[in-house]
Amino acid sequence: MAKLSRRSLSLYVANGLNDPATQKTVLLQLAAYLVDTRRTKELPLIVRDIELYLAEAGSVAGMVTSAFDLTAETKKAIEQYVKQHTGAKEVLLDHSIEPSVLGGIKINTPGHELDATVRRNLTILKTQYKKV
Amino acid sequence: MEKKTTMSQISVAELSKELRDAITKLETTGNLDEVGIVLRVGDGVVWVQGLRDAGYNEVLQIETDNGIVEAFALNLSEDEIGAVLLGADSHVKAGQTVRLKGSVLTVPVGPELLGRVVDPLGNPVDGGPAIKTKQQGIVEREAIGVMGRKSVHEPLMTGISAIDVMFPIGRGQRELIIGDRQTGKTALAIDTMINQGKQKTGVVNVYVAIGQKRSKIARLVERLKQEGVMDQTIIVATSPADPASLLYLAPYAATAMGEYFRDNSQHALMIYDDLTKHAVAYRQMSLLLRRPPGREAYPGDVFYLHSRLLERSAKLSDALGAGSLTALPIIETQAGDISAYIPTNVISITDGQIFLETDLFYQGIRPAISAGLSVSRVGGAAQSSAIKSVSGGLKLGLSQFRELASFAQFGSDLDEATKSQIERGQRLTELLKQHQYNPLSIWQQVASVNAVSSGYFNNVPVAKIKDAQSSMLTRLWADHKKDMMELDKGGKPTEEILKSIEVTARAAAKGFEG
Repeated sequence: MAKLSRRSLSLYVANGLNDPATQKTVLLQLAAYLVDTRRTKELPLIVRDIELYLAEAGSVAGMVTSAFDLTAETKKAIEQYVKQHTGAKEVLLDHSIEPSVLGGIKINTPGHELDATVRRNLTILKTQYKKV
Repeated sequence: MEKKTTMSQISVAELSKELRDAITKLETTGNLDEVGIVLRVGDGVVWVQGLRDAGYNEVLQIETDNGIVEAFALNLSEDEIGAVLLGADSHVKAGQTVRLKGSVLTVPVGPELLGRVVDPLGNPVDGGPAIKTKQQGIVEREAIGVMGRKSVHEPLMTGISAIDVMFPIGRGQRELIIGDRQTGKTALAIDTMINQGKQKTGVVNVYVAIGQKRSKIARLVERLKQEGVMDQTIIVATSPADPASLLYLAPYAATAMGEYFRDNSQHALMIYDDLTKHAVAYRQMSLLLRRPPGREAYPGDVFYLHSRLLERSAKLSDALGAGSLTALPIIETQAGDISAYIPTNVISITDGQIFLETDLFYQGIRPAISAGLSVSRVGGAAQSSAIKSVSGGLKLGLSQFRELASFAQFGSDLDEATKSQIERGQRLTELLKQHQYNPLSIWQQVASVNAVSSGYFNNVPVAKIKDAQSSMLTRLWADHKKDMMELDKGGKPTEEILKSIEVTARAAAKGFEG
């Protein structure tokens, strides 16, 4: 049997999850297939791809990272921003505090990112000055 | 001491201003950018998951702890992208974020690069200041179309008599220099570059060193400075220590730099030293990208690798400014085998080849150009009238002489006609010998070849031909400077000029007759 690409596998699972009739069985099918074809190591990558297809279908699961805790208002504004830029109907955002980003925020959605942190700006400056 | 303090204050002030400028430019797009992640990295190749919108040859930016490292996408498959890193892979790790730069690879182009030694990304490697150009050129640019071109018709003088007389090169031509190691391939190219400076042709030289030792490049720069040609030269240098990706990019990036001059109604000369190493670097990259190997383990598109590069050399039509880009690619053969894979490919792409023979080189015939195997397919139309007037039948005569000379080794019983042909051939061979870094101008070539082919030096022993030539040229310049300057313009020599050459050549020959 020809090896199925991760992309086609993920698309199949994402479609299954969006259909209430197959929602419960599709994950079991995926698990069985990965064990059978000895591809369990690819699971994290397949999950990323599934998230991407689900996002395209309107359900975005993302992560917001900042150096300090965010107010409820800011969180709501970020959620609104993600909805506006992805066209998603449903947005589910986790929040993580990472002092190493120094300031600003980073929004990760499946396959996309907005990095407005101080750490990234410093990385860009470092690269520019290394070239000179 | 006081001066030092002032200088450091200036540099701090400049640095502070630059830093402020850079910070103001650090605005985020405000959009969610498409990102991928590094899956695997090794041997200068990185595999990326995500970035479904990535295009072929598009630049990717990998965010490492030590800054952003760039790569360009070469393998676009369903599940992952294979990209070749443009810098060291030591800081790239699995899991790092990768972004699309949104553009294909570009390099700085313009007159600001003249006199500089740069790497294939346009960064200076000569210890000089940063290069700030007004324009960027696309590294992998499509070649100009049919209607934008014109037939090759202007000569590109190399200053090497054997080439200019027998295998003339025109502006916009691609002429391959091919031969074994240590046969003088690079020397020919360097002499051609020097000649552009000495004859004030205004042709810009772009020398691409592909995997050449840094010591060799340093010597070349020093020599070009001594000869006063560095001001009209750009050197794109890569060494064996550089990643294969940079060796692969070097000729394309350098061509983009040369194209700037071509597109601005100027003339540029590209020297690719050498395309054998370029093919080897591409083979390394292709094998690491897991592309299927073909003959000699080269990938299937190795012909296209060089054909798309050399097709960018052209003579532009008047409507496009009539600029030109001439290419002198160099190929190294193994034991004189010109039928190997890469040599045959490049021979079929170019408009002729100058073949250098090891045997001739060790016989002291330098440049060791083989008259039989060398050819220039389009240069004849570009040869100046002055040179054309003395070049007729020279190539054929020299080829026949070399055959006859091998026969003559078996016995001395030869008829008069054969003997005279051999003697003429020996004199001509001696005349076409030329020291390195000593290119000749048009009048010098015309007078020299005319003197030998008309038989004015028939009584001069072969060993003294060069002395007689030198004496004749000195006398001609002293006594007929105006005529020689006229001849140097390239027009057909008048009867009067030919008479002056005859009289001077006979007079010079008298002093050397054995």
